[in-house]
Amino acid sequence: MKVEIDTELCHGHGRCYMLAPEVFDADDRGHGLVLAPSPPAELEAKARLAAANCPEHAITVTD
Amino acid sequence: MQDTATTGDGIHMEVGAAFGAEAAACPQPVFKMLREHAPVLKVPGGVIISRKADIDEAFRRPEVFSSNADALNIGNIRPLIPLQIDPPDHVRYRRLLDPLFAPKKMAALESRTAALVNRQIDRFVGRGGCDLVPEFTIPLPSEVFLTMFGLPLEELETFLRMKDGIIRPPGEPDEQAAHRRATADEMYAYFNTVLDARSVEPRDDILSGFLQVEDLTREEVLDICFLLMIAGLDTVTASLDCFFAYLAQHPSDRDQLVADPSLIPNAIEELFRWETPVTGVPRIAVQDMELGGTEVKAGDQVMVLLGAANTDDAEFPDADRVDFGREVNRHLAFGGGVHRCLGSHLARLELRVALREFHARIPDYRLAPGTVLEYTSGIRSLASLPLVWEA
Repeated sequence: MKVEIDTELCHGHGRCYMLAPEVFDADDRGHGLVLAPSPPAELEAKARLAAANCPEHAITVTD
Repeated sequence: MQDTATTGDGIHMEVGAAFGAEAAACPQPVFKMLREHAPVLKVPGGVIISRKADIDEAFRRPEVFSSNADALNIGNIRPLIPLQIDPPDHVRYRRLLDPLFAPKKMAALESRTAALVNRQIDRFVGRGGCDLVPEFTIPLPSEVFLTMFGLPLEELETFLRMKDGIIRPPGEPDEQAAHRRATADEMYAYFNTVLDARSVEPRDDILSGFLQVEDLTREEVLDICFLLMIAGLDTVTASLDCFFAYLAQHPSDRDQLVADPSLIPNAIEELFRWETPVTGVPRIAVQDMELGGTEVKAGDQVMVLLGAANTDDAEFPDADRVDFGREVNRHLAFGGGVHRCLGSHLARLELRVALREFHARIPDYRLAPGTVLEYTSGIRSLASLPLVWEA
């Protein structure tokens, strides 16, 4: 799995790092950062959950 | 409600009536009617938009849907920063301000917020009841602000008077405008004095933080303070009002939070979705366009109905059901796009700490018998929320 954030679309709602802190973190502004761009299998569901909850549709998860 | 929404003037009257007190208490059916029958509703001066897809579009195009000072004037002499600044200048302000309101900064306020919450609860817990609005939901956000600003809690009355002077000035419309202007002058002067003190003797507070940001002029800092006062207090009060009123009337939902406080963060997101305490945010169309088959002219106001987006079943399966276990929740209670609420991380912290501490100490409560809740429209706050419990 590959996880990416479109930094043009991210506006710092903070849903991703709240829901999946193992995969995402916050930068100094509170915008999302990908911590684990290729997360291990046990974190894939969490990465998908975070992507599904991004209000700006800024996260892409590809298999 | 009658289904007369599809015909011309009928909709204006229908929606005008619908947005009265009854709809503020229970707005979701009105939102549904709008989405289904008049998703881009013409009103004097502009349109109201209510479908999630159109609202996403408006938030993604700030160059067309402007948030400039024409969208809202409330006594300020210059644009409110950053709300009334459009890109590209807006980007500069958010780069400077976002770090001061980032989640990691807010986390440092958690223990002090918990102490403030418990200080309020101490006063009424043994009484077996309280009016939560004057005793909790109004003072708490202002006390958190005072703490952030490094000001003593004794300033509470001054704070409340200044924000109310802007948000709900007394009297007839022309008197209200004069009252707002006078309050605005007082507020600029008040913060100027405090900022003078902080520039001589910086402290570990957000005002000192503003002064340490290079390139922010004193006027800009004052404009930021003005925005924080009007955007960061009543909105949190309204959220506390809406959430506690919901939980008082839905004991089985409340019991879930009491039994497992780890559900609170997700429950807060669901309550933000369902209650949407800030019903809508205004934008100004900067060019002629067509929206959902309706003509919108340059200069028209576009009222973005956040509560309608948040209950749109095209986005949310089973949108009319409040489900604290809802897994996918792209709600827009904090707006979206470049103007996403600057204080959203602070608001979440205050709500989370308030719900956690309150339910740990008062797990079982209900509305006082005979209570009829009266919500204000726009920002859905309550004048009174009388609760009772076994002391």
